[in-house]
Amino acid sequence: MIVRLIVRRLFFFVFVLFGLSLITFTLAHVVPADPARMIAGPRASRNAVEKVRRDYGLDKPLPLQYVNYIKGIVQLDFGRSLVSRRPVREDLGRYLPATVELGLYAFVIATAVGIPLGVASAVKRGTAIDHAARFVSISGLALPVFWLALLAQFLFFGTLGWLPDGQRLPEAVDPPRSITSLYTIDALLTGNWTVLKLAVEHLILPVSVLAYGSLAVVTRMVRGCMLEVLNQDYIRTARAKGLSSSAVLTRHALKNALLPTVTSLGLQIGLLLSGAFLVEIVFSWPGIGRYAVRAIESVDYNAIMATTLIVAVIFALINLVVDIIYVFLDPRISYE
Amino acid sequence: MSAEPTFFTTPRTSRSVTFTNLPPRSQRAERWRGFERFMFGSLLNLAGFVIVLMFLFLAIFGAALSPHDPYAPPDHYVEQKLQPPSLDHPLGTDELGRDLLSRIMTGARVSLQAAVVVLALAVSLGTLIGAVSGYLGGLADEVLMRVTDMFLAFPAFILAIAIAASLGRDLRYTTIALSTVFWPWYARLVRGQVLSIKEREYVEAARCLGMSAGRLMFRHILPNAIAVVIIQITIDIGYVILSTSALSFIGLGAQPPTPEWGTMLASARPYFRDAWWYMTFPGVALTLTVFAFNALGDGLRDTLDPRSRQR
Repeated sequence: MIVRLIVRRLFFFVFVLFGLSLITFTLAHVVPADPARMIAGPRASRNAVEKVRRDYGLDKPLPLQYVNYIKGIVQLDFGRSLVSRRPVREDLGRYLPATVELGLYAFVIATAVGIPLGVASAVKRGTAIDHAARFVSISGLALPVFWLALLAQFLFFGTLGWLPDGQRLPEAVDPPRSITSLYTIDALLTGNWTVLKLAVEHLILPVSVLAYGSLAVVTRMVRGCMLEVLNQDYIRTARAKGLSSSAVLTRHALKNALLPTVTSLGLQIGLLLSGAFLVEIVFSWPGIGRYAVRAIESVDYNAIMATTLIVAVIFALINLVVDIIYVFLDPRISYE
Repeated sequence: MSAEPTFFTTPRTSRSVTFTNLPPRSQRAERWRGFERFMFGSLLNLAGFVIVLMFLFLAIFGAALSPHDPYAPPDHYVEQKLQPPSLDHPLGTDELGRDLLSRIMTGARVSLQAAVVVLALAVSLGTLIGAVSGYLGGLADEVLMRVTDMFLAFPAFILAIAIAASLGRDLRYTTIALSTVFWPWYARLVRGQVLSIKEREYVEAARCLGMSAGRLMFRHILPNAIAVVIIQITIDIGYVILSTSALSFIGLGAQPPTPEWGTMLASARPYFRDAWWYMTFPGVALTLTVFAFNALGDGLRDTLDPRSRQR
């Protein structure tokens, strides 16, 4: 039964990949008035544009173009970036780890703080902690992440001077020997404590700003689910038969309240990836978000489309994993 | 009286049944009571409502009432650039000496216009697809919903970036990009509503009377689905304004000298150490607006659908 469900999820994943490629293909080849001009760049000569048209096969019929497009993607060939003059694949490999590091820590913080905060807020309804949690969830949903980033930069770098204003490390410091490409982990593995301290200092502001929005959503979600579960009959039954309130909470309520949260964690990744685009610009964080925005500024078409596709595939992949985890977590789902 | 919750009415369960000899409350009085409870029962609802009204007022009259020209720099702009708040410029000036208050006031209209266009497009398309999908069912439903899923598989903001980037850097294209991102949610929402409403007895009865599918849809099914859609629109206005600003902030969307709040924040970025007012006030305006629409939408949902109160 479970195997069949997983196969179905996998099948859906493949379908989603197909859909994603179709959408990016449409955006790259059908929507622009002249895709060759887009790829060659606004200042290219007419001959150069014609050369691009032939080289990229843009003079061929659309279905054939799509097949070629898929062939390229499967080999991770996204063409060359106009700005860096390197293959886009190399650029993505260079910038992706910075975004992963940023997003990973933000995700961990949002969940590690959000879940306990949401639970506490539901259990101790109307108390100070509940008010704090509701403040977080309301403000986190309304505050634009790029403005929050500007404010944090102004306060902690501009005024107080406590934290650096951006980048992953100071210019003069060499990154640690690359093992995972995540500076904090690499520094830890190689025992390079000075770099570790610097890397953490540089992470604090962007990570906190990025985490805040997700923290708000997680807190709100957990609080809502928890309140709903606490009203259920089986919780009353558990209390009535004399279980301690901590046992009721952890064994009966929490397990059921966290199930919907697991699903939303996959969606959180989407929120974090989107937020990373904005946070990275403010903090000059050398990740794919800033790369994409620079690409937009210089109409670097291959780079924009490749980044979009990569981010969407990562998002779909994470949601696939979440779906599969969910099958194991919630036994009811297999009866569908 | 229909069993459907109408606007601004609260469930009647708590009404006292002992005073049966009293004349029944008029529907208008009921509505007023519901409205009263909505407004003053929660500080958040009240705050949201008031700020939304202010925002709408600014969107309509802001440009006309602004004390200075929001677009053109003053003649001797060098002396007037980046001035801190003063009597003449209550919120200070920007790097071209333009009055920030005037620009923020004018910006409300830019944001509202974008939100209206985006949601009008998204809601029409989403409702059409959702209604057809939910009403027909079967293969059509399957195909339409899988297409919808394809769009939902993208992180919304990233998809909007890709679309806006491929269309060009202009506010018009950004609104198209954002409606492409928002419609699938409405398709889902409306489909769910239609699925449940079309099984109701009054729809069954109307069908037995020989009503055509179109008439059935527009007279009986869609009007009953509209409350949910309106709540969603109220919440989404905030998010559309936020997304428009975010896209403008990264250079897609509104271009200078348009006084859009996100565009203003982008141009304020280089001056964040010297001119705190420049990066503060557009952000405050944006945050308050998003907060207000969120609060209003949440409040509406709680009032219209008491089951979801605890969410």
